[in-house]
Amino acid sequence: MNEELIRQSEALAPQLDSSRKKAFVCGLLFAALTVVGYFIDHGQFFQSYLLAFIYWMSLSLGCLLLLMIHHLAGGRWGFAIRRILEAGTRTLALMLVLGVPILLGIHELYEWSHEDVVAADEILQKKAVFLNSTSFVIRYFVYFLVWFILAFLLNKWTAAQDATSETSPTRRMQILSGPGTVLFVLVTTFAAIDWIMSLEPHWFSTIYAAIYIIGQLLLTWAFAILVGVRLSRHLPLSALLTNERLRDLGTFMLAFVMLWAYTSFSQFIIIWSGNLPEEITWYYARLQGGWQHVGYLLVAFHFALPLVLLVSSRLKARIPILTAIAAGMMIMRLVDLFWITAPAFDKTGLTLHWMDLVIPIAMGGIWLSVFYGQLKKRSLVPLNDPRFDFAALADEVDAHG
Amino acid sequence: MSESSTSTRQQYTPPPPELGPGQTSHTSITEKITSIVLTPHTPYQWFIVVLIGLMLVGLLQVSIAYLLYEGIGIWGLNVPVGWGFAIIHFVWWIGIGHAGTLISAILLLFRQKWRTSINRSAEAMTIFAVMCAGMFPLIHTGRPWLAAYWLFPYPNSMAVWPQFRSPLIWDVFAVSTYFTVSLVFWFLGMVPDLASFRDRAKHRVTRVIYGVLAMGWRGSAVHWERYEMTSLMLAGLATPLVLSVHSVISLDFSVSILPGWHTTIFPPYFVAGAIYAGFAMVLLLLIPIRRLYGLQDFITLRHLENMGKVMLTAGLIVAYGYFMEQFIAWYSASVYEGFMMQNRMFGDYGSFYWALILCNIAIPQFLWSKRVRRNTVWLMFISFVISVGMWLERFVIVITSLHADFMPSSWDMFYPTFWDWATYAGTIGFFLFAFFLFVRGMPVIAAHEIRTLLPFGKKEK
Repeated sequence: MNEELIRQSEALAPQLDSSRKKAFVCGLLFAALTVVGYFIDHGQFFQSYLLAFIYWMSLSLGCLLLLMIHHLAGGRWGFAIRRILEAGTRTLALMLVLGVPILLGIHELYEWSHEDVVAADEILQKKAVFLNSTSFVIRYFVYFLVWFILAFLLNKWTAAQDATSETSPTRRMQILSGPGTVLFVLVTTFAAIDWIMSLEPHWFSTIYAAIYIIGQLLLTWAFAILVGVRLSRHLPLSALLTNERLRDLGTFMLAFVMLWAYTSFSQFIIIWSGNLPEEITWYYARLQGGWQHVGYLLVAFHFALPLVLLVSSRLKARIPILTAIAAGMMIMRLVDLFWITAPAFDKTGLTLHWMDLVIPIAMGGIWLSVFYGQLKKRSLVPLNDPRFDFAALADEVDAHG
Repeated sequence: MSESSTSTRQQYTPPPPELGPGQTSHTSITEKITSIVLTPHTPYQWFIVVLIGLMLVGLLQVSIAYLLYEGIGIWGLNVPVGWGFAIIHFVWWIGIGHAGTLISAILLLFRQKWRTSINRSAEAMTIFAVMCAGMFPLIHTGRPWLAAYWLFPYPNSMAVWPQFRSPLIWDVFAVSTYFTVSLVFWFLGMVPDLASFRDRAKHRVTRVIYGVLAMGWRGSAVHWERYEMTSLMLAGLATPLVLSVHSVISLDFSVSILPGWHTTIFPPYFVAGAIYAGFAMVLLLLIPIRRLYGLQDFITLRHLENMGKVMLTAGLIVAYGYFMEQFIAWYSASVYEGFMMQNRMFGDYGSFYWALILCNIAIPQFLWSKRVRRNTVWLMFISFVISVGMWLERFVIVITSLHADFMPSSWDMFYPTFWDWATYAGTIGFFLFAFFLFVRGMPVIAAHEIRTLLPFGKKEK
C-alpha cells in the first residue's frame, strides 16, 4: 500500500514541478519590477512590502497553526490536507529572509523608531521599553525561532512516521501540539502587535491580534481548498479528498468567515460606541476619504457573499463554486490587510499604488515555488499514521462509488 | 495492508467507543433509561438534594417578597456601585447555560458522537440556568410587574420607546430568543423518548401524562424524517446563539467607557468564559448522577475526559483574555487603564483578583494530565474551583471597575448584605430542585440517539 502511495505521488511530481517553475518565473518577473519600484519610491516600497510580507507570512503561520489543531483534534479533513499544511510550514525559512527588508526599513515604517519623535511624545516615551528598534529586531528573531522549532519538529516527526510502523512519532506530534498551540498564539500575538498594530503606536485594541490569527486560518482554509481541489483530481488524494470532504473544508472556511466578521465587528462596535479620542482615530482614518468604500467591499465580499454561498450545502458541494469562493477569499484577505495597514501611512485619502499589487504577487510567486518544491518531496498522503487507515478509507470511497 | 502495519494498529490504542461494555442491544438501552423514571423506587439521596433545593427556594421566595416590599436598598448597592450581585449572578447563570447549547448544537453539526449521552441533561441545565439568570434583571427593577413596560418596545400613546442603542435592550431579545430556542430544542429532542415512556408505563395516569407529552409520536418513517430535519435546523439556529448571547452580555459592559469594562476582547472572552463555566457545571451535576443511577455505560470516562479537554481549551482562551487585558492596559499608556489594573491587583479587592487567577488559570492546568481528566474526584474538584473562579471573575469585573471610577471623591466599597447572599443561594436551590425533578421524571439520556451508537445502528459514513 505504502509503495503504491509513494508511486502515485511521484507520478504527480512533474506536474507539481511545472507549477513550481511557473510560480518561480512569475515571482522573478515581478521581483524585477519590485526592484525598480524600490528606486522610484522608497517610502511606498516599504509600505507595500510590509503588506506583502504580513499576507504571505499569515499563510505560512496559518498552515502551522492548522497543522497543530489537526494533531490535537484529529478528523479526516486534516489527514487529507496534512501534506499541504506541512509544505506550507516549510516556507518559514524563506519568510525569515524575506522579512529582512522590514527590519532594514524600520525607520520608513514605524514612527516610534525615530528618537526625536519619541522625545516629543509623552505616550511613546512610556512605551519605549517595548517599542524600540533593538528589541523589535530581537523579538523578530525570537518569534521565528519559536515558529521554526515547532515547524521543524512536526516536519521531522511526520517524516519519521512515514518511514516506520512504530507509533511514537505520531504520539510526539500530538504531545507537542497542545503546548505548541499555546506558545504559537502568544508569539503570534506579539508579532501582530509589533508588525502591524504599532504602525499607529498610540492606538491599542485587545482583540487585534486574535483577528489577525483568525485571518491566518481563514486564508489557510482557502489556500488548502484551492490546492486540495487540484490534487483531488489524481491519485492518491482522489480517494481521500472526495467532494464530500472538500465540502467539509468549505464548511470550515465558512466558520472562519463568521469568526472573522464576529471579531472584527466586536472591535468596531465597542470602539465606535465608546468614541474615545485615543481609540476612534483608527476607524476615523479608515471610514473616510474613500477608505470607507474598501470597508464596504470587505463587508460585501469578505463576509456577506461568502456567507450566503457557503451556508448552502448544495452550492458548496459544487467544486467550481467552492473554488471560486476560495480564490475570492484569498484576494479579500489581501484587501483586508491593505485596509488595515495602508491608511496608517496615508491620511489624505484612498490611494492604491501599483506596488501594492506587484510586491504581493512577486512574493507570492516565490512563496508558491518553494511550497510546490516542498510538496513534491514527500508522499501526498501521510504514511503509517495509526489514527487513519488509508486503505479502509479508500475502500469505503470505492464502495460508495 | 502489510503485516507490519497490522501490528502497528495493535500497538496503538484507538479511542474507546462511546458506549460502555454493558450496553449491547436496543432493549437494554431503552430499559436502562426508562427504569430511572418508571419505577416507584427513588434513591434517598434524591430526596436529600430536592429537600435542600426546596428549602433554598423558600429562602428565595422570602428574599424576593422582602425585596418587593422594601426595595433594592436591602442589597449592598451604593452610589458608585450601582450594579452588584444582581448583574454578577445574571452573567454567572447565563454563562452556565452555554454548555448545553454548545454540546447539543455545535457538536451535532460537527458530528461528534460522544455528545449523545450528555446533551439532554446539559440542555436541561441550560433551561434552568437561564431561568435563574432571568430572575435577576426582573427583580432588580424592584417592580417586576412593570418590567414588560420598561423592557419591551411596543407602540404606545406616549410614544415612549426603550433606548435601542443600549445593549441592555439587546439583552432582552438575545436572552428571550435563547430561552425559546433552547426550550424548543430540548423538548423536541425528548419526544421520541417520551413516547417510549408512554409505551412502557404501567400506571394509567403515567401513561396519559407521557402520552400527552409525546404529542402523538408513533415513530413512523415520516415522523423520523421530519424530526431529523427539524433537529438540524434548530441546531443551525442555536449555533449563532452560543456566540451571540454572551457577546451581547459582554457589550453591556464594554460599550461603556469605564476602564476594565471597555475593551475589545470582551465578546469572545465572555463566550469562552461561559463555555468554561458551563462545562464545569455539567461535570458537577453529571458525575454524581452517573454514579447514583449507574449510568457509567452511557457517560463513560471518555465523555468526562473530552469535557475536561473542552474546559481546558476554554480556560486557556479566558487566560489569553486576562493576559491581553493586562498587557494592553500597560501598552495603552493610559492613566485610567493603568490605575484600573493596579487597583484590580493590589487595591481593596486585590485578594479577589489573585483568588480568581488561582481558580481560573492555575488549578485548571492540571487538566493537561490525562490521569486527572479520567479521575472523577479530580474533575469534580476542578469543576468546583472553576465555578467559583468564574463567579470571582464577574465580581472582579463588576465591582472593582465601579467602586473606584474616574472621580476619587465618590469612591466607595461594596459589601453584599444577607439578602444579596440569600437571593443567590435561593437561585442555586431552584436550579438543583428543578434539575432533580427533571432527572426523576424525564428521559435524562437521549435513548433513541444512544441506540444509533450500537454497531448495527451506525450510519455508513
